[in-house]
Amino acid sequence: MLEILGGLIALALGAGFVGALSGLGGGVFIVPALVILMHVPMYLAISASLISVVATSAGASVAFVRDGWTNLRLAMVLECATVTGAVVGAMLAGYLPNWALELIFALMMLQSAYFTISKKGDQILPRGDPLTERLKLGGEVTDESGHRIRYGVKNIPGGAALMVLAGIMSGLLGIGSGALKVIAMDYVMHVPLKISSATSNFMIGVTAGAGALVFLSRGEVPTSLVAPVAIGVTVGALTGSLVLPHVNTQSLRILFAVILVLIAVEMGWRAAMGI
Amino acid sequence: MPQLPPLEDEDRILRVWTPILLRTILIISGIILLIGLALMVTQSPGAYVARVRAIQSGQRMYEPDPWLKMFNLGMHGDPRQIVMVGLVVLTLVPLARVAFCFILFIRERDWPFVFFTAYVLSGLIVGIILGRIG
Repeated sequence: MLEILGGLIALALGAGFVGALSGLGGGVFIVPALVILMHVPMYLAISASLISVVATSAGASVAFVRDGWTNLRLAMVLECATVTGAVVGAMLAGYLPNWALELIFALMMLQSAYFTISKKGDQILPRGDPLTERLKLGGEVTDESGHRIRYGVKNIPGGAALMVLAGIMSGLLGIGSGALKVIAMDYVMHVPLKISSATSNFMIGVTAGAGALVFLSRGEVPTSLVAPVAIGVTVGALTGSLVLPHVNTQSLRILFAVILVLIAVEMGWRAAMGI
Repeated sequence: MPQLPPLEDEDRILRVWTPILLRTILIISGIILLIGLALMVTQSPGAYVARVRAIQSGQRMYEPDPWLKMFNLGMHGDPRQIVMVGLVVLTLVPLARVAFCFILFIRERDWPFVFFTAYVLSGLIVGIILGRIG
């Protein structure tokens, strides 16, 4: 028994730690860890992961919100899109076969790997478009030279469309979809990267929570699995966020991308073989 | 970490109270989960292993218990239900946070954001209902 429990906690600790260091969140690593190493069926790994993601998001958000990195108003607008997608995704996850979930997961891992190595600099707008200005969605951020500058936000419809997709992927695959959320905010809406990362982390809690509530209400939550995983991932993520400021993540990006590609290959193989 | 300038009341309240709310519920759910897990593995370690093996073999999960029944059984020391209570409390973290914002925006008469938070709240509640009937 200790072997199983220790194995689950160790896997979850590792997934939470690497998820925090890579900025991709624990779900991206805990789902394949449970499926590949613990031989847990995909849809049960998804439900275990979604609940863990709520915990890691809440834990990591505390400091970001307190220190003013999270754009709370923007998060609340975009959560309308992610929650809609997450409920749809979680409902779909109950009906799709394992191979389809594994295949979609593999594709998402490739997208995350590309995102990890292709992060670009900010294109900060001094003012947003009329709608975002009216909703007061802009804010302030410190630039590289240490000066505080104002940033505006634009293209809510474009960002919201990608957020619906991020929500669907979250509910469907048990991940936070942080990479998609940051792309929506950073590339489409021109939110500075640091702000979009913190805001994405904050939104992940609600997105994953929406999906997790569907699984919980269905009674499809394996308690024996979720409890050690949620505890392990949270401790791992908190440790990762403490170590993060002292690590040169630039040099780790290639390693993370390689790990993600390997996961994609394994999940794609399992989908093809019907494992 | 650089500090931002004085904020409007609404933002200030959100930035002070949101972390407190998140942290408090997270700690409470963590404690409940730890108690439930400890009872689960100490009271019947054999049953715990059997459940994990059943999960690995893809066996159907339990039918959903009504949440009131789950809380009652949890209060009577049923380890699985204690873990379920911990998980429900954990999953309610985002719901509580959105509900808090909803009340704040009503107080501030910030109507567009009352609408946004009401939409998110109803989305979360629809998720629970769809999960029950779907």
